[in-house]
Amino acid sequence: MSDTPATKSGFSLRGPGMSKFLEVYGIILVVVVMMLVLAVIKPEVFLSAQNLTNILKQNASLALLALGMYVVIVTAGIDLSVGSIMGLSMVCLAVASKAGVPWPIVLLIGPAIGLLVGWVNGVGLTVLKLPHPFIMTLGTLNVARGLTYLISNGAPISGLQPEVRFIGQAYFGFGMAPPAGIPASMLLVAVCAIGLWFFLEKTNMGRHIFAIGGNPHAARVSGINVDRTLVVVYMISGFMAGLSGLLLAGRTDSGFPNAGIGIELDAIAAVIIGGASFFGGRGTVLGVLAGVLIMGILRNGLNINNVSAFWQQILIGLVIIIAVYIDVLRRRAAVRR
Amino acid sequence: MKKLLLTGVALSALLAMAGSANAAYVLGMKGPGAGNPFWAAVEAGAKAKAAELGVEVIVVAPPAESDVQAQITQIEDLIAQKVDGIALAPTDPNALAPVVDAAKAAGIPVVFVDTRGTNEGVTFIGTNNEVGAALAAKYLCDNLAAGSEVAILQGLISQSTGQARADGSKKGLTDCGLKVVAEQTAEWDRAKGLSVTENILAGNPNIKGIFGSNDNMALGASEAVKAAARTDITIVGFDANPDAAAAILAGDMAATIAQAPANMGGFGIQALVDLKAGKTLEAWIDTGTVLVTKDNAADYK
Repeated sequence: MSDTPATKSGFSLRGPGMSKFLEVYGIILVVVVMMLVLAVIKPEVFLSAQNLTNILKQNASLALLALGMYVVIVTAGIDLSVGSIMGLSMVCLAVASKAGVPWPIVLLIGPAIGLLVGWVNGVGLTVLKLPHPFIMTLGTLNVARGLTYLISNGAPISGLQPEVRFIGQAYFGFGMAPPAGIPASMLLVAVCAIGLWFFLEKTNMGRHIFAIGGNPHAARVSGINVDRTLVVVYMISGFMAGLSGLLLAGRTDSGFPNAGIGIELDAIAAVIIGGASFFGGRGTVLGVLAGVLIMGILRNGLNINNVSAFWQQILIGLVIIIAVYIDVLRRRAAVRR
Repeated sequence: MKKLLLTGVALSALLAMAGSANAAYVLGMKGPGAGNPFWAAVEAGAKAKAAELGVEVIVVAPPAESDVQAQITQIEDLIAQKVDGIALAPTDPNALAPVVDAAKAAGIPVVFVDTRGTNEGVTFIGTNNEVGAALAAKYLCDNLAAGSEVAILQGLISQSTGQARADGSKKGLTDCGLKVVAEQTAEWDRAKGLSVTENILAGNPNIKGIFGSNDNMALGASEAVKAAARTDITIVGFDANPDAAAAILAGDMAATIAQAPANMGGFGIQALVDLKAGKTLEAWIDTGTVLVTKDNAADYK
């Protein structure tokens, strides 16, 4: 993102080299430190292949949601509907799977629903000119969740085709004892992350997305089709949420209507912890993945130490505040010099 | 949307009452947001009893089991409409206590179904969850070697059902000499049950038994156990929902505890009719629990 005006203002610590390194990789250091601490407290459990596998597969669906949310937040927007899209996708694909629809089609249902709801979000925002994406996506959050209950009649739909479960459940053991290995879901996250990085960094539309986040008016004046770009942005977010529903349905062998309630807030938290600005125009794909890992490792570390789930929420809340405060301090220092 | 939904509920309740001269009784459930066939059975039981007695039944439920606020609003609105009685499954007994008092003050008879409330003198119609959880613990005791390590997946401990199942199972398991090495909440949720079990397995490789305080969590646990390629872990759930019955027949779960949700709905409506007629009720009407294993799981599919 070094070519966007919004990030350039951030450099002027000792040397451009050092500050750039911290800007991009500082968050990775936090992940490493957390892992070291847990490795010292519970070496025999935390570093076991099984536990590391657990962290990857437990956070894969959140990672996809956060990647989608990141693109939206880069435009200074927000997408509250992703948790509901996830639930709707899961229930719809479970119904189709149970009805004997061929599995290649079932695989497409989640992402298709995501694209559709995302398109509705984008169109609502740009054509209806609703004042803030918060409103449009709050609407679709409720509509999609209501549809989820309607379609499922409030009950979970379990027992999916094995091919549908594959991406959410399979892992490649490479000779390790089960259930350790590289989860297929992680590979999907990697593909999506690399694809998104390429899209944002190397394509015109990707650069336009950053420009809109930095200054929508300037972007419009410079000839960027802001409305069309925003529709694409919300479709990306919806698509990721649909994919993420496919992962969770595969993992749990079930489309359950309560899936994903409140998870949009986790996705937003991961993006913010990962260093993206709520006011748009700034952030990195790597930072988002690190944000997801920070939340995931924190939860895992507390779980394997048998710490109550209530504490996990308190600590994640504090981490959000502290992570953003550190960012504020760093920027203030950068401006003074 | 909550407001809209509630207005809708209130409107349909009004219509239901306007449409008939019969007495209208309310069944206030925690589902359908619970995503649990259990509530469907409660509802069916209540409707069957209402048809038998020739009374109207209005079924309301918050959109999610944790949505205490929505349930309070629903009940308040129904009190305002002067219904003839309320059979309530409180999402949070303490939070619902003031509205239950308000209903009684308005002369509307109230009974609790499924989950016991905190109000004095209100009859509770439901499972003795501590006894049910002890039944599950006994099954694990009978099928595991003494001293084996076991884990408990707790529901929401802020609810009496979650608390009773956690207490009953813990007491049963420790009394017979099993070692409870992990007790964690998975908030009644299948995905959380899966994640929590994965973490428990990573930290406690010698686990031999898992009690899930509901079937959703037990089914999540069975996914984690299958993924870990462990065949030596006995999983017992609670609720006997159709998915769990199928899992027992498939050998993924060993047992579950059946409540009688249809009885809760049916007894609930009967109790309200009795109260309206001036009869007095016992403080606790037990709806019973049954151990479900491979032998009788087919009845619960």
